[in-house]
Amino acid sequence: MSSLPKHLALTAVLTIAAGSVSAQQLAPSPTLDAIKARGHLECGVHLGLPGFSYANDKGEWSGIDVDYCRALAAAILGDATKVKFTPTSVQQRWPVLQSGQVDVLARNTTITFSRNATLGVNFQGINFYEGQTFVVRKGAAATPKDLDGASVCVAAGSTEEKNAADWFKERGLKISIINFQKNDDAIAAYDSGRCDAYTAGIGALAGQRIKLKKPDDNVVMTETISNDPQGPTTRWNDERFQLVVRWVLNGQIAAEAYGVTSKNVDEMKASSQSGDIRRLLGVEGGFGAMMGIPNDWMYQAIKQVGNYAESYERTVGLGSPLKLARGKNELWTKGGALFSPPFQ
Amino acid sequence: MSLAAALRDRKVRDVIAQAAVAVSLVALLVYFVRNASQNMVKAGIASGFDFLWRQAGIDIPFQLTGYTSASSILGLLWVGIVNTLLVSAVAIVAATVLGFAIGVARLSRNAMLSGIAGAYVEFARNIPLLFFVLIWYFGVVASLPAPRASLALFGVAFLNNRGLTMPLPNATGGFVWALLVLAAGIVAQVALLAVSRRRQARTGHALPLGLTGTLLVVALPMLALTVAAFGTGWDIPVLRGFNYRGGFVLVPEFVALFAALSTYTAAFVAEIVRAGILAVPGGQIEAAKAIGLRPGQILRLVTIPQAMRVMVPPLTSQYLNVVKNSSFGAAIAYPDVVSLFMGSALNNTGQAIEIVAITLALYLAISLAVSASMNAYNARTALVTR
Repeated sequence: MSSLPKHLALTAVLTIAAGSVSAQQLAPSPTLDAIKARGHLECGVHLGLPGFSYANDKGEWSGIDVDYCRALAAAILGDATKVKFTPTSVQQRWPVLQSGQVDVLARNTTITFSRNATLGVNFQGINFYEGQTFVVRKGAAATPKDLDGASVCVAAGSTEEKNAADWFKERGLKISIINFQKNDDAIAAYDSGRCDAYTAGIGALAGQRIKLKKPDDNVVMTETISNDPQGPTTRWNDERFQLVVRWVLNGQIAAEAYGVTSKNVDEMKASSQSGDIRRLLGVEGGFGAMMGIPNDWMYQAIKQVGNYAESYERTVGLGSPLKLARGKNELWTKGGALFSPPFQ
Repeated sequence: MSLAAALRDRKVRDVIAQAAVAVSLVALLVYFVRNASQNMVKAGIASGFDFLWRQAGIDIPFQLTGYTSASSILGLLWVGIVNTLLVSAVAIVAATVLGFAIGVARLSRNAMLSGIAGAYVEFARNIPLLFFVLIWYFGVVASLPAPRASLALFGVAFLNNRGLTMPLPNATGGFVWALLVLAAGIVAQVALLAVSRRRQARTGHALPLGLTGTLLVVALPMLALTVAAFGTGWDIPVLRGFNYRGGFVLVPEFVALFAALSTYTAAFVAEIVRAGILAVPGGQIEAAKAIGLRPGQILRLVTIPQAMRVMVPPLTSQYLNVVKNSSFGAAIAYPDVVSLFMGSALNNTGQAIEIVAITLALYLAISLAVSASMNAYNARTALVTR
């Protein structure tokens, strides 16, 4: 009667072996496990910036950053509505991400070396190429150079604060920078006449100009003084979750390049013969499973949120009040800077 | 004495209990610091205080320390400290003067005067300070003209919604001399005061201190100042482009924060003054009248010194509040410690724990210093009981 213990021992060995095999297949991802367990994604966004992340009077969020979070939720959980948005100020954004209060930060935040190197955060790609410029009262100045001697309102601790100081100093021009804790306070001070200009990214300004008392009396300059790429940001560690964050963004851009939209995605999934599209939509390749999420991850994201172009036009592009042309935020094949590595 | 006997002694037990509490508090603190630093290293977040020597890279429109955007973050912190102390100091002086006036007015027999003072106190005490700050700020900025329509004061200073632009002397030598004259005048006046006291005690006659004070502390320094002002060249602001160039700018943020802090705190000071004066027993004043003191002398020699004993402790906490409340300046872009250090520097370096700890320590140090000086004054004026 020694066969029973032997049998048990064999089972135990097999179980452990099987366990270790599956552990080798997928690196542990506490963030993905937590998202699945709680049933929604926690996403850090801007306090309120039309076109990027803005809650209307019914509390419904919209914007290009909000769309990214929805696509990520659709990819992981199969449902784009399973996102909780946490509005964050310039000051709050890093602690909120570092402490694990949000899973990902999509908050038109500029990618810089020192942030990457010292804050324990990783930037997973670029969903918007921003460039810093100024909003001024009509006729006050046409280009940034004309602002010599002006008072400029800015949000404290933003890249804009340093950019402006550097840019004017390099050119031997002098401006007086007034630092506010919140973008909205800075805009209010500009609106009340304290400053000659308010500075932020050109996309952000297009949205914020709408908030001014008399938007039509103010113009956003077209010349920019910086290059501020922005994109979804995660904590260090948990590479598997970072993989998902990065490739959902790549997937949105690839979908535009491959011509897959929310309208034709079902048809494409059923009948496309292109290997790229079939792998993107999870018909073959099993890419989702490699990251520990469903294989139809990008199908769900595109079906429910759309590809990059659809999201852009709806939130900041010509179909929105901001009316921004694609500019650098166009596919590299069409003269822009957006690019996705191949889905192979 | 055996150990058991020692433990039965209440004093010994108390010492042991207190030591145990102290040790566990320190241990807890050490645990927190270690835990935080280990987890920060694990999360890839930079820690330590090296960032203080990194270049700050931002411009500050209102600073007195010679800071430039090439200065270090430590330099930025120093600007913040100086600005916090500056606005707190002038607001404390103004709130005290205004508060004394309102407090005395509230005790006036004139019903209208006391009514207005009372209404002001109730109004100011029951409104949040942030509201005060914002109203003053947007009120000041909105009511002042744009640079091109500036109000000129004697053709050398200009007031507009960018601030009060004042001429700045090219050299400071003459003004240092004027300051030295003022210092010498004060020393001489203090010496005269001591001589006068002794003489009054001996002969009953005081020296004409009012006259000497006017001469030594006001007239002579003013003369030196005038000589200095005409002896040096001035950097007079001129309108070019968007605003006046040159000179020194008193920004509206400073004016608004100063006005908000002093008008708000004055209401509390007024109540303290009123309480202090009412606390002086009526018999004291009757006695003072009986020995023939004039009303001004009664107020100066009898009422106020005794009222001060009641007033100093609550006044201390109001002064501490002014220092702490000056952090509301961050809401209106006044470059104080909170705005510069906890705002800009924190965002640029991301070292939240270090920066918050330094700021806490700073406020604690400033508050303890204010507290200590007020306690010293209190100890000096306290009733000596034998």
